[in-house]
Amino acid sequence: MANKGDLLLEMKDVKKRFGGAVALRGTSLSVRAGEIHALLGENGAGKSTMLKILAGVHVHDGGEITLGGSAFISGSPQASIDQGIAVIYQEPSLFLDLSLAENVFVGRQPKKGIAIDWKEAEAQASKLFKELGVELDPKRQARGLSIADQQVVEIAKALSMNANIILMDEPTAALSASEVERLMTVMRNLRAANKAVIFVSHRLDEVFAISDHITVMRDGATVSEKKIAQTDLQTVIKEMVGRELTELFPKTDHPIGDVVLEVENLTNAAYFRNVSFTVRKGEIVALAGLVGSGRSEIARSIFGIDSYDEGSVKINHKPLKKNSPIAAMDVKIALVPEDRRQQGLFMVAGVNRNISMESFSRLTGRFFINFKKERALTNEWRENLSIKYADQSDPVDRLSGGNQQKTVLAKWLATNPDLLIVDEPTRGIDVGTKAEVHRLIDKAAGEGKAVLMISSELPEVLGMADRIIVMREGRQVTELSRKEATQENVIAAATTGKKGI
Amino acid sequence: MPEKNKFKLRKSWDTAILALLFVVWVLASMTTDNFLSSINVSQIFSNSSEIMIMGFAMVFLIIAGEIDLSIASILALSSAMLGYSYAHGAPIWLAILIAMAVGTTCGFINGFLVTKLGLGSLAVTIGALALYRGIANGILGTNTINEFPEFWTNFGFDTIGKSFIPQTLPVIIVFGIFFGLLLHNTPFGRRTLAIGQSQMAARFAGVNVVRHKIIIFTFTGFMSGVAGIIYTFRFSTAQADNGVGLELLVISACLLGGVSIFGGIGTMWGVVAGVMLASSVESWLTLREINAQWRTIVTGILLLISVAAPVLVDKWKRAKATAANKS
Amino acid sequence: MASLFKRKALGREASLGVILIFAVAVTGFINPRFVTGDGTRDLLSATAIVALLAIGIAPIMIMRHIDLSIASTVGFSAWLVADTCAKNPSFTWVQCFLVGGSLGIVIGILNGLLVAGLRLPSLVVTLGTLYIVRGGVYVVSNSVDYNAQEMPKSLLKIGSTAFFGLLPVPFFLALVLMAIVAWFLKYTKAGRDCYAIGSNPPAADLVGLKVFRRTFLAYIFSGFIAGIAGVFYLMRFAQVDSTAFYGQELAVVAAAVIGGIGLLGGAGTAVGVVIGALLVQTIQGALAALGVDAFWKAAINGLLLIVAIYADRILASRSEKALLAQRIKERV
Repeated sequence: MANKGDLLLEMKDVKKRFGGAVALRGTSLSVRAGEIHALLGENGAGKSTMLKILAGVHVHDGGEITLGGSAFISGSPQASIDQGIAVIYQEPSLFLDLSLAENVFVGRQPKKGIAIDWKEAEAQASKLFKELGVELDPKRQARGLSIADQQVVEIAKALSMNANIILMDEPTAALSASEVERLMTVMRNLRAANKAVIFVSHRLDEVFAISDHITVMRDGATVSEKKIAQTDLQTVIKEMVGRELTELFPKTDHPIGDVVLEVENLTNAAYFRNVSFTVRKGEIVALAGLVGSGRSEIARSIFGIDSYDEGSVKINHKPLKKNSPIAAMDVKIALVPEDRRQQGLFMVAGVNRNISMESFSRLTGRFFINFKKERALTNEWRENLSIKYADQSDPVDRLSGGNQQKTVLAKWLATNPDLLIVDEPTRGIDVGTKAEVHRLIDKAAGEGKAVLMISSELPEVLGMADRIIVMREGRQVTELSRKEATQENVIAAATTGKKGI
Repeated sequence: MPEKNKFKLRKSWDTAILALLFVVWVLASMTTDNFLSSINVSQIFSNSSEIMIMGFAMVFLIIAGEIDLSIASILALSSAMLGYSYAHGAPIWLAILIAMAVGTTCGFINGFLVTKLGLGSLAVTIGALALYRGIANGILGTNTINEFPEFWTNFGFDTIGKSFIPQTLPVIIVFGIFFGLLLHNTPFGRRTLAIGQSQMAARFAGVNVVRHKIIIFTFTGFMSGVAGIIYTFRFSTAQADNGVGLELLVISACLLGGVSIFGGIGTMWGVVAGVMLASSVESWLTLREINAQWRTIVTGILLLISVAAPVLVDKWKRAKATAANKS
Repeated sequence: MASLFKRKALGREASLGVILIFAVAVTGFINPRFVTGDGTRDLLSATAIVALLAIGIAPIMIMRHIDLSIASTVGFSAWLVADTCAKNPSFTWVQCFLVGGSLGIVIGILNGLLVAGLRLPSLVVTLGTLYIVRGGVYVVSNSVDYNAQEMPKSLLKIGSTAFFGLLPVPFFLALVLMAIVAWFLKYTKAGRDCYAIGSNPPAADLVGLKVFRRTFLAYIFSGFIAGIAGVFYLMRFAQVDSTAFYGQELAVVAAAVIGGIGLLGGAGTAVGVVIGALLVQTIQGALAALGVDAFWKAAINGLLLIVAIYADRILASRSEKALLAQRIKERV
């Protein structure tokens, strides 16, 4: 058992490259027992690569990693576990068919003679849950557990393996406010037990509420490593992005026209209730709120990917058939989904084939696709959005994240939509491309399209939107105009459900 | 850049299969007297008729990430129905229509089970494999029907005029052009590939995945019915165990032709090359007077090679790339 | 009835038991011979092979894989054992099991290397080996058949003995295997690993389970059991040709699925699988007892499999819906 303040983990000038791409160009990190250490950085800064090296999924190419004085043996998850490192992923991957006790002890079940001693396993699991301050029945199946409880099971597992270093990858991203509070209690308990907790988060308020140390990464290198008292929010943000926030949002004013989208009392019992709002021509309306507050599900229901239980959706004053993306596309709705790799693109297919996917009606004669027109269309949108690729038929997988996102935008803008829904349009792309995407969205509004934007990045919401609808746990909390909205009242509404401070 | 490798691999796979086909032809004509004689070439074409016809449709299914193992049973059932209804007094044109309708219905049922009821296509079509052949068995028992109008048995057996081109070949070519264009030049084909690459992304792109898959299953059933008709006339026999195990030949031919078992990748001409390869090997074995029983083994080995080879080549290339990176 | 179908540990076995009794009762009512001592013994010895094989593939299916080559292995093993006995008249039943089991292990190794080693889709791989092994029987048998005269008397005697005139030895042996496998799956680390691997394959890699070793050994086990089942085949039928047990893999898979091993892995027990096998045989036996033509047997096997998969799917979607409802309740 480590004493408080012992140096548990030290990484020096760690490097990692994947083929030609450099993921880590020299990161350092030192973490002590009895400390909560936040690891910050934009997406792509190299945080997950670092976690994966410690988890034994990847092997670093250069630099030094020591654990409590001895060299880190890398290369297999098992080796990492043996060295006292445990990783809690954002979406825990439990064995849903197995009991909680078994999930805690999978691969290391306590034995009596040659047989597994289930009573003992259940007793031990129950004890661990109690230590973490959470009452869970060790006999129940993991299927159906909330994400927050699944994380608790993962943490209990880590403790049962005597892990000293507990890595958490965005543990709060999918949790409700009360669940976050509970997780923080668990983290404090871990700190009190002299464990080292390293956690990655994008929610800076939480970071400042709980951590002792903050390490900021940018472009695969460590930018700063400070005690919490030595830094503040503004500094951290600057270190993360490396440029001033104000440059990012080129929003211009456009005339606002007739109503395009009317959503009335839309309810999908599992995700959201009684949601009503409108979006007009030339207007950008943002759905703000935490991840999991039902925003993406609303977008999916409007576009017809999912169905809904009650309420109605009208486009240009005409009711829209539910649960039919084809009907939605017919009335010129476009949805740029939140997950471009899974939902937005066909990763192994060429850029041209991705861009033409929704525009066949314009490329097809009587039966056949006109390949010349397809090439022309791709070139047109390459120029409009300055997408960078070597050859039209290059699989989009080879493009950078920013160019991939532009490709998704291009294929939907190519359909010339009346209503453009963008879900997390700038997630995981570099700062320069972010600004370009913002300009494109602004331009679309300028052309008279109605834009519904979902974003978890508050500055983006405040910078881009004409009106902001704040969601919390599936309910519409408040609607703010551009003038009324401030960082504080949007956060307050999203996290507490109160309309103002 | 594993993706880059994958694509290069796919292209080199297509070339490799052509080269392999060539090698088989050279070896076969060296080791046998009349492999490239007009009669034998005609035989190769003619023997590959059913595999080719079912392959044209099956390639869509595999690309869309599904599979149908019951096609040979559908062939048998439609053959049985053709024989049964003709023997029971139906005019031949009606019997042919019935056989086609039976095939189409079977395909639709498979599609319905897979898409509407959400059952895994591998497992369900194994059940359907037993079911359809079982029904053929139930209808015909051990009977065989081999009295068919001469015009139609000639169609199955004869060549065009004095050439070596089987009469069935033009039919196959027409189907081939139709399905080739459908796969590579139409939105329907593009959507098929899209579904195989990412079913979720396809839904977000407005593809009606359920309907699309049902259509593919249905025309796969139809083509299996057509294959059943040609099989019946080619051997002028309708019996319950017609075409046993043919589904494996079709699948191996598709995989040999570079269609990915995981979906999303494949070309029509690759499939044609794959079918030609499989049937050339078969013909070679026949000419060498190798025991017919060996063919079951060769079929199985071909299938194993066709799934294992891409993985092995991929592993080998990756190992080579890592070695190159290290040095 | 609805509460019977809840997906609880024992619920599945209990509800299967009820269906089984129901099926036996109805058939017995229509054809009383079905429930006599003879009828029962017949049913149980017919079930023995399918039950044995279903137990054999249980670990594989729990790991979300499949083995379709088993029926071919049974055929090959039965023919090979008969052939060896014909050539070595001094053979005893022990040696028969050794020969059959060894052949099965060889085939299991082949499957295991391809599925566990190369991580190829198990369905396609074992479909391939199904044909290769069956082709192997065709080739080596060269259309030679064997009858009771060529087989060791000690072996045939085991097949025809029954405890209390009701419980045939082969079925008893299947029950013994069931008990061992049930214990193994519940109380050993290797057994639990099977469930974990099938429940969430990527996570199994992540927590460092020995996925290759477990999968590989499971295929060897399945092959071994199939080889043993080949000897059981001889005990029951006392004759063999190259088409022995052709196509019966479907009955086995159907028994396993009906017995509660979902095709998505992670669930199922050895006891459930044996009940599933009994149910499949009862239905087939019942149809025969009710006078349905033997030609329809394959069709019924296929239909049974489809129905079993569908029922499994319904049960799964039912528990999904229950979870969703629970989630909605938590939201309100």
